[in-house]
Amino acid sequence: MDGIWLWISFALVSMATHLPRGSFIVLGQRASLPPAVQGALRYAPAAALAAIVAPSVFVVDGAVQPFNPKFAAAVVVLMIALRWKNPWLPFIIGMGVLLGLRKGLGF
Amino acid sequence: MNRRFLAGARSGFRIFLPLSIGLIPWALVTGVALTSAGLSVVEAMGMNLMVYAGVAQIATLPLIVAGAPLWLIGLTALALNLRFLIFSAAIAKGFHDVPLKLRIPSGYLLIDGVFAVCTERMLSVRDRHWRFGYFLGPSLWGWGLWQCFVLTGVLGAGALPQDWSLEFMATIALMVILVPLSKNRAMLVAALVGGVSSVLLRGMPLKLGVIVAIVIGIIAGFVAGRVLPERKEA
Repeated sequence: MDGIWLWISFALVSMATHLPRGSFIVLGQRASLPPAVQGALRYAPAAALAAIVAPSVFVVDGAVQPFNPKFAAAVVVLMIALRWKNPWLPFIIGMGVLLGLRKGLGF
Repeated sequence: MNRRFLAGARSGFRIFLPLSIGLIPWALVTGVALTSAGLSVVEAMGMNLMVYAGVAQIATLPLIVAGAPLWLIGLTALALNLRFLIFSAAIAKGFHDVPLKLRIPSGYLLIDGVFAVCTERMLSVRDRHWRFGYFLGPSLWGWGLWQCFVLTGVLGAGALPQDWSLEFMATIALMVILVPLSKNRAMLVAALVGGVSSVLLRGMPLKLGVIVAIVIGIIAGFVAGRVLPERKEA
C-alpha cells in the first residue's frame, strides 16, 4: 500500500484513537453521566491498569504460567513499591531480577 | 500562564517523571516496528504524530501494510482504543471548567500513564489553573518523550538490542502506579477482578478481553465499595 492510501489509513487510525480519547472531555457538560456511573468510574484507573498489566505478567506464549521470570520480577517490584517511596528502585531491581533470571540462569 | 498553573504543572511532572521512563522502551519498540514495516522516516513520524497511541499503531501496522480494507483497519483501532472512552468519561469532570480550545488538545494527549496518575487530583482539586497544569505538565512531557524515542527507534532500528526484555519496563511503570491506587479495599477488588478477568479473557479477538475486563473490574469495585465497610486509606 502506498501514497495516498497510506495517509488515509493513518487518518482513520488517528480518528479511531482521538474520538474515544476526546469524547467526554470535549463534550463536557453536554454529555454528563448519571452520578452512579460517575461514582463507578472512580474504579476505572485501578481496573484498567490491572487488566493491562496482568496478562503481561502471567501469560507466556498464550498460556497461563504463574511461575515465570516476569512473575518473580513483578513480585519483587510490588514489594519494593509497597515498602519504599524511591521511584527509581522498582525499575532498577525489577529489571535486574528479570535479566538475572533470563540471562544469568537461562530461564 | 499563571503561577498556580505552573505550580500544578510542576507537581504533576514530578510525580510522572520516574514513571514516564516506562514509555521509553515502548517508544523504541514502536519506532523499530514502524521502520520494519517499511515506512519511510516521514511516514513513520507522520503516523506517530497523527495517532500517538503505541498499541493501536503496532497492531494496525500489519493490516495497513498488507493493504487490508479500511473498515477493518478502523474497527481494529477502535477496539484497541475503547478503553480511552472509559478514561475520558472518568476524567471528564476535571475539565468541566476548562475552555473548549484547551479540552480538544487535552483529549489528544490523554494516555494511560497520565490518566492513572492524574485522575484522582483532577477530580478533587478545585483550583482550575492548578488542576489543568497538573494534567498538562506530565502530558506534554510524555508526548515529547514519546516522539523523541520513537524517532530514535525509527533511525536506529538496526542497532538496538533485541533481547533485553526492555518492554517489561512499561509493565513495571504501570505496577508502580497501581500500588498506591489499591490501598483502598474497593480499589483493590477492582484491580484484582480486572486483572484476573483480563488473563481469563485473553483469547477474545482484537484485545476486546481487556475492555470487558476493565468493565467487570469497575463493576466489582463499585459493588465492593457499597458492600465492604469503608476503611480509612493507609
